[in-house]
Amino acid sequence: MIPVKRYRKVRQTICFRIYFSLVLILMVPSAQTAPITFNTALPVAKGEFLIRQQFISVQSGDDPGPTDRDRTAVTSTTALVYGVNHKLALFGILPYQDIELSLNPGTGKLSRTNSGLGDVKLFGRYIFKQNNQQGRTLRWAGFAGFKAPTGDEDARDSLGTLPPPVQTGTGSWDAFGGLVFTRQTLDWQLDAQLGYQTNTEANQYEAGDIFRFDASFQKRVWPRELSVGVPGFLYGVLEMNLIHQGKNKFNGVYDPHSNGTRLLLAPGIQYVTRRWIAEASLQLPIIQDLNGSALELGHILRAGMRFNF
Amino acid sequence: MKFKSLVVFIMAVLWVSYSFAAGSIYSLRVDGLACPFCAYGIEKKLKRTEGVESVDIDLKNGLVVVRTTAGRVFTEDQLRQLVEDAGFSMKSMTEATR
Repeated sequence: MIPVKRYRKVRQTICFRIYFSLVLILMVPSAQTAPITFNTALPVAKGEFLIRQQFISVQSGDDPGPTDRDRTAVTSTTALVYGVNHKLALFGILPYQDIELSLNPGTGKLSRTNSGLGDVKLFGRYIFKQNNQQGRTLRWAGFAGFKAPTGDEDARDSLGTLPPPVQTGTGSWDAFGGLVFTRQTLDWQLDAQLGYQTNTEANQYEAGDIFRFDASFQKRVWPRELSVGVPGFLYGVLEMNLIHQGKNKFNGVYDPHSNGTRLLLAPGIQYVTRRWIAEASLQLPIIQDLNGSALELGHILRAGMRFNF
Repeated sequence: MKFKSLVVFIMAVLWVSYSFAAGSIYSLRVDGLACPFCAYGIEKKLKRTEGVESVDIDLKNGLVVVRTTAGRVFTEDQLRQLVEDAGFSMKSMTEATR
């Protein structure tokens, strides 16, 4: 018989591991044409707005530990982008989450759920180098911003306060930044991004910092020959995400069973018109080098629309 | 093929232009245009400018054709600035009266 206090602590620790190993994956890309899973360096016209709506379903399972954990999170993210000028764009991203965590600690299966607004992300992106030619462009940009604790971090259900993996907010102010590169032609596009997020402490908990490298290649598959005017483009997309997160800290002590390194591959499809884009991708883990019994990622399904208005 | 497409596009634009009252037609060679979504950025930037009647874009040839209302005149620098504000580069410009 496990003491109730210890049982709760174990359950909470498990939940911490699951949650923060997945937070980084939900970093939302920009609202422009280009990659589905991360940002781009393409411009936003001065004084103009773009909006992006994306639905992200993250499934984790195959628990290496004894508690048979399974987590599903469906997130609807709304991103609004404003062009301050042709080099500087401001981004605001608001997620709405619906989360379910089930586990069996040995006393029967438990399921805990929660939904609500998550933590807002605000950041700016500045294009510091560009080279335009007919039908092609090359751009480098830097971005920096922060995540504000606007989501709920102390939601409760009938069993008490929900553990962090089921909370819609983290409670911490976290800064992030990086570099992004884009090479776009009429036939194909290549994007790459290097990013870092430093996580701060909240409620005696500090998630590990996140480093990520992303790359995307898009090839126009239709129309095969361009006609005059502005036809819609159908792209085949292949993206890669290399994500490393350091160990979490709880009360100043590192959790040896948290986070690690993941390599994801994401085939996708994107239809681009003048005023809107429809897209979908499936991110699959190719390599997961995780610490201890950190929970493995199953897959991430993304579908969304972007509007130029 | 490329030249033929360009000729057809310009002829179509000119034909449409005759049905409007006299104004100017500016043909801009714009660099950096490489996808439809980006093209709309420059289109809406120009369309929101006073005196611009219509904007036609030929992505393949990097051509932006701006038709203005009667009496509205743009300098090359003004158009260059509008194109730059949209995030692109204007390489050259030709002007015709209709």
